Amino acid sequence: MSRVHDVGGQTGFGPVDPGDAAEPAQFGADWEAHVFAVQRILLRRGVFTGDEMRDAIESIPPERYLAAAYFERWLEALEVLVERKGVA
Amino acid sequence: MTDGVRFPLGSRVRARTIDPDHHTRLPRYLRGHTGEVVAAAAPEPLPDDVARGRAEPRVETVYAVRFHGSELWGSDPASSHTVIADLWECYLEEAR
Repeated sequence: MSRVHDVGGQTGFGPVDPGDAAEPAQFGADWEAHVFAVQRILLRRGVFTGDEMRDAIESIPPERYLAAAYFERWLEALEVLVERKGVA
Repeated sequence: MTDGVRFPLGSRVRARTIDPDHHTRLPRYLRGHTGEVVAAAAPEPLPDDVARGRAEPRVETVYAVRFHGSELWGSDPASSHTVIADLWECYLEEAR
């Protein structure tokens, strides 16, 4: 079952903008930083593994996955995982 | 659990044509394509098993496999365009 995230190797998206290596990456909004922080804490506490997180992101139905921003996918995956692991 | 290195450096290997319903580190664009082993790294837990929460995931050698652009995208065979991917042993089979 091919999943929607697996677009590696596809052509036609144009050149990749690598950004400025001298400029640190910035969150687009505070809530994104909060999602990132929560994910890191849960990962460090062993609530789930990085591979389980990836699996949860890749399991988002295609219509929602494609419409969602990067950290919206993270948030949905976290919601699924904390419920599955019984820590919600 | 796999002991030792099944594919020595320089081996021709084919990425298996699989279609799992769970996380895998074998990207779709490599499946079915042939490359060359350029390095073998220490065994690592298989992400496919870790992603499914398995308490004792398989631990396998991870190979760096080089694929030519002409094999993947029909690039000019004379070009130096290659891709090197880190692939767990069970993703690979011997290429004939």
